[in-house]
Amino acid sequence: MSNNVAIELPSFVPHELGERPRHIEIVTTRSQKRARPRLVYALVGVGGLFAILMTQLLLSILLSHGAYQIAALQSTQVQLSRDQQTITEALNVLQSPQNLAARAGQLGMVTNTGSQGFLSLTTGVTRAPTAATANTSVTPGDAVMTPNALITPSISNLGAAAAAAASAASIPPNASVSGAPAGSATGASVASNPGALPSPITH
Amino acid sequence: MKSPRSSRRRLALAVVVTFVIVGIFTVRLVDIQLVRATQLNAQSTSKRAITSVTYAPRGQIVDANGVVLADSVNRYDITAAPVNVRSFERKSAGGAKITVSVTDAAAEIANLTKQDPAAVYLDLTKNPKSNYVLLASSVTTATMKAITNLGIPGIYHVLHPARAYPDGAVAGNLVGYMNTDGPGGGLEYSQNKCLASTNGSTKYEQGADGVQIPGSTVSSTPAKPGGTLKLTTDSDLQWFAQQAIAQQATAVGAQSATSVVLRVKDFHLMAVADWPSVDPNNLNATPAQNRGALSFTDQYEPGSVFKAMSAAMLIDTGIGSPTMQATVPSTWHTPEGGTVHDAAPHPVQHLTLTGVLQNSSNVGISMLGSQVPKPVRYDYMKKFGLTVPTAVNFLGEAGGSLAPWQKWDDQTKYNVLYGQGVSATALQVAQIFGILANGGVKLPLTLVQSCTRPDGTITGLPSTTGTRVVKDSTAKTVVNMLESVVQGGELSNAVKIPGYRVAGKSGTAEVAGPGGYGSDRVVSFAGIAPADDPQYVVVVTYTKPATMKSSAAAAPTFKKIMSQVLAKYGVPPSTTPLNDYPATTW
Repeated sequence: MSNNVAIELPSFVPHELGERPRHIEIVTTRSQKRARPRLVYALVGVGGLFAILMTQLLLSILLSHGAYQIAALQSTQVQLSRDQQTITEALNVLQSPQNLAARAGQLGMVTNTGSQGFLSLTTGVTRAPTAATANTSVTPGDAVMTPNALITPSISNLGAAAAAAASAASIPPNASVSGAPAGSATGASVASNPGALPSPITH
Repeated sequence: MKSPRSSRRRLALAVVVTFVIVGIFTVRLVDIQLVRATQLNAQSTSKRAITSVTYAPRGQIVDANGVVLADSVNRYDITAAPVNVRSFERKSAGGAKITVSVTDAAAEIANLTKQDPAAVYLDLTKNPKSNYVLLASSVTTATMKAITNLGIPGIYHVLHPARAYPDGAVAGNLVGYMNTDGPGGGLEYSQNKCLASTNGSTKYEQGADGVQIPGSTVSSTPAKPGGTLKLTTDSDLQWFAQQAIAQQATAVGAQSATSVVLRVKDFHLMAVADWPSVDPNNLNATPAQNRGALSFTDQYEPGSVFKAMSAAMLIDTGIGSPTMQATVPSTWHTPEGGTVHDAAPHPVQHLTLTGVLQNSSNVGISMLGSQVPKPVRYDYMKKFGLTVPTAVNFLGEAGGSLAPWQKWDDQTKYNVLYGQGVSATALQVAQIFGILANGGVKLPLTLVQSCTRPDGTITGLPSTTGTRVVKDSTAKTVVNMLESVVQGGELSNAVKIPGYRVAGKSGTAEVAGPGGYGSDRVVSFAGIAPADDPQYVVVVTYTKPATMKSSAAAAPTFKKIMSQVLAKYGVPPSTTPLNDYPATTW
């Protein structure tokens, strides 16, 4: 494309001669003004650089702080999993048949294979429970027969302590439970009627 | 005045020297950055990076209810670097500083590890320049913590994972044990593929204070924990069975004893007890020959319990029936010229096949059972599971022995009918009664239910494909005939369980020694309950009892264990008449 459009040149109006010379002021042209570096850019640049450096510093501080936190948490986790493992280990031994049998034996309990009774609505008692005899039980406390080297006095004591704590925490049998009707638990018996299912008295 | 020539020369020299120096640096740079880069990097990493092992625990062995039978536990080795051990100051509770000498420190450690203080002191001071000495191995976490809290310089701990068996001797015969270098026996050995774990490792760079440098993980291999092995047994029942046989074995002076509880519907083993029991936590207390499961590994001549199988063959082939008649003397001279004796002398009896079982007559079963051709009998015995180990495939399991029928001599052809001249394990006997209880179908005996990997995948599921051995009607008839033993036999009072119909067979087998059969016996009782709806099989055996050499020793234990099984699993009592079995005499 040919550039044949006439360009309008700026017209310079000559100063009127003969006038009294005034105080001369050099006025920068617009392009000169535009060309001059502005302070604000410099400030932004330097400030930005500073900000980046600060951010990086903060980040690395945070990162290393995080590393310490991770290390601390990992160490806590190891401690806690060790504790959990120790407790589980003790619990598994406490619930071993030998320990349960021995403790039940201490409480005066015996095994009894004839302890179960069966009732039938049509034929009544189909199997009556029987009291324990030597033929229906095994001696629980005989640790020599099914030994367990893990049941040590300290484990047994642990069990006893836990049992004591549990019984201390539980509600004593004669304490009244709030919300239960007073007196209903003592003396009152459910009226039985042979031939009919017992039913509660309703109001 | 300087000549321009010399000044030019100097300039050229300076340029050359500069180029040479720059060249040397470039070569060096290329050498370091490119040529030897890998090697140097590796060297620097190895200086800064440390490898930490992520411990993967070996899998647990649990019973059918999830009760832990074998578990991996943390134990620690307490080590010391004597070069760092010295007296130090410790703040007492009151805030005052007290000096703890090496002697005191040794005493404190010895007190916690229950060692001799002098020995610990000697370890710490014997070789003062040494960097490593093992003070105590495999101490518990509590002890390790207590030792760490003492704050003694130069004392360290190293994780030393160990195996614990919380139930001790309960199922100790099945679970097996670990040696120092790996699985030593039982399921620990045979199921190692499921249980074994692979430790992982993480390699990272460490700062001066021992903390990982952020983002510096060099490499990491994840830990692979072992799978959980679930058995079919119930540890409470297992304890009861072990306790019951142990008490009776002690009472009758038996050399060893076993009992097996089998659930009929799926052939799951609910308990497999052995006495003497082994506590895997304390292996040294048990002689090596008793550390396994004799119920699987010990084959014996089972004796009269096999008469149940012989009766099943007679009925299944159609040759016999429950009321098939025999005239039974107490000693019978066989057509081949041999003799068969009954256990006790008696006048000539007119017994049916049911009566032969009830009276456990060797003569009767020989007369009747020999009517089934030898090859047919041999095939039946193989189908009942003799000569091959059961599907459990326990470590070292025996398959029993039975000569091919062609090799049965004139005595053996009768002997095998009452369980002599043939051997089986307690498990194989339980399997035979299981087949009869399960309507003639043999299912694979199962001890291991499954293996659950940490990611939840389940492997190692047992096969459940059954094979028919005898007809359903045959099996039901034989169980019915076996009731006669419990209701009317010699041991009736010892084995009857109130409310339940029980079928069973006793066995008092002679034990063959180097000089033929001696006075030693293997006494046993195998039974099924309830007979009208068979759900459980219990087998009890005592090897070489000293004082009571008859199945009367095994019967009470059978009753005890079977009663416990019925009560524990809430099996409803029988609803059909108790004395409903075929006639025993004619």
